[in-house]
Amino acid sequence: MIASIAFHNFKALRSASVRLERFNLLIGPNGSGKSSLIEGIMRMGALARLPPSEAVPDGEGGGDRAEVRFRLTPPYAAWEVVMRCATRDHCDALRWIHHAGPENPVEREALRERLRSVRRYEFEQAAMVRGGAGLPDAELAPDGANLAAVIHHRRVAHPDAYERWRRDVLRALPEYDAVSAETDAEGSAVIRLRLVEEAEVITHQDLSHGSLCALAIFCLATDPSPPAVLCIEDLDRGLHPRLLREARDALYRLSHPGNGEARPGHSQIVATTHSPYLLDLFREHPEEVVIAEKHGRASTFRRLCDCPDLAEMMAGVSLGDLWYSGVIGGVPEEPETGGAEVRTAPGGGSGS
Amino acid sequence: MASNVSLRVAKLAVLSESPADEAAFGILIEAVLERPFVRVRANLRARGWPSVLQVLPAVIRHLHFNTDAQGLVVVVDSDDSVVHTEAHDAPDYFHPQCRMCRLRATFRQTVKRLPPARGRERVLRGVGVAVPAVEAWYLCGRDARVTEEAWASGQARGALPYTRGQLKERIYGTDRPSLEYALRRAVAEVERFRRDTRRLEHDFPGFASLAHDLRSWTLG
Ligand SMILES: [Zn+2]
Repeated sequence: MIASIAFHNFKALRSASVRLERFNLLIGPNGSGKSSLIEGIMRMGALARLPPSEAVPDGEGGGDRAEVRFRLTPPYAAWEVVMRCATRDHCDALRWIHHAGPENPVEREALRERLRSVRRYEFEQAAMVRGGAGLPDAELAPDGANLAAVIHHRRVAHPDAYERWRRDVLRALPEYDAVSAETDAEGSAVIRLRLVEEAEVITHQDLSHGSLCALAIFCLATDPSPPAVLCIEDLDRGLHPRLLREARDALYRLSHPGNGEARPGHSQIVATTHSPYLLDLFREHPEEVVIAEKHGRASTFRRLCDCPDLAEMMAGVSLGDLWYSGVIGGVPEEPETGGAEVRTAPGGGSGS
Repeated sequence: MASNVSLRVAKLAVLSESPADEAAFGILIEAVLERPFVRVRANLRARGWPSVLQVLPAVIRHLHFNTDAQGLVVVVDSDDSVVHTEAHDAPDYFHPQCRMCRLRATFRQTVKRLPPARGRERVLRGVGVAVPAVEAWYLCGRDARVTEEAWASGQARGALPYTRGQLKERIYGTDRPSLEYALRRAVAEVERFRRDTRRLEHDFPGFASLAHDLRSWTLG
């Protein structure tokens, strides 16, 4: 959907650009702009709900004014969407630029419709066991609220998607041999899971944070009408390292449909992580890893596949260890020191 | 020793497991080099053995092509591995269970394959192994019974003279020190060697090897 994004003065992203693949794993220290990237996508999605304004001035201001430019993938490759911001924190309008010939309003509306669907998730345990006050049954809240209702709705309205979700859950959580979404005596949706070789059935309210996160990730991954761009913060959060593979595989089925499973629609995925174990799973696809770097208060992005000598550096070492070592970047900044004190490079002198 | 090296400040990188140890090694390196140095790529870090050994080729490669580091200092704990001896220094000898031998061999094999870059032939090697852990270095001069020799002969007898936990307990007063406290303690202990590292080199050949490496650098 999004081919690339160029940020200018947007939060910590003073001058940063990034090319996006169908799946993108963002790594980097805290405060390095990973969330700002996602925030940029979300604001663009929110502004796409407004009717296109003809009044947005072209190219004036510049300087300190924030601007985020989105290039898109086919069939919208001729389009560029420019988000203008009055201040660093207040973006007010989108400009729709067609780079090849006269624009087609029908195509623009289709693009606008698609971009409006972008979603961002950051799961919270307390939220995932809650209903989604006011949300439609089919919609998972950004913090994971409404999970049981979404699954229950899907059981009725999209049985295929529901079955895919059940398969994913039972494969990833082998301690259960049955899972279903039902309604309780009060009519509230509830997910029930049966422990293997025990008659005991538990509900989603009894699950650990990690198990709930897995249920929610599979819910997104099997969405019958997935968003154009699906952003997940801290994808590894709460998940046992051995569960990461199942989570990645489920999301790959959403970002790369056709790999053996027929499913409607697909999403571009942008996920952040601090897990070297999750990063290990992208050894064969360094083009899917984006490294966020912090330089003082400004941040930039780089693709792992653009690191010089990557193949040689990866020989005999896990990608997670390589990241931790600091040689591919994406680690917290530390001052350059000599001895015990922080020094700047002196021009000469000798201790003897 | 300092007279035959350039007065220019050395640029080197340090790879170890903890910022606390790095701060202490900074003081020891400066004491051996007898002059200040600048640490490049201060954010190198390893996740313990064997991760150090696995990332070492990538770290050397990275420093060689992408930085102006003249040398790389790597220090690891020996833990329960075989302690390096003079016998290991024989030509073409290599003890597969000795961390000093493994690190040196990895260094040698890695730099051998790299063409000259950034005006230098290779990144110079500085390898130290703390036996059995870096806290033993920090106790040097405080307790004459804590030496590499005492540990190695204890290993040979099958009766270790102390545990790594006991060494930590004595340095930090706990075997769970905070990073900030560990850094302060490590720096305070190695300050004793700022003017003279001979005792540390004598009691800990794993440090003497590092000092020897550093003195062999003719930088500038
Ligand atoms: Zn040896």
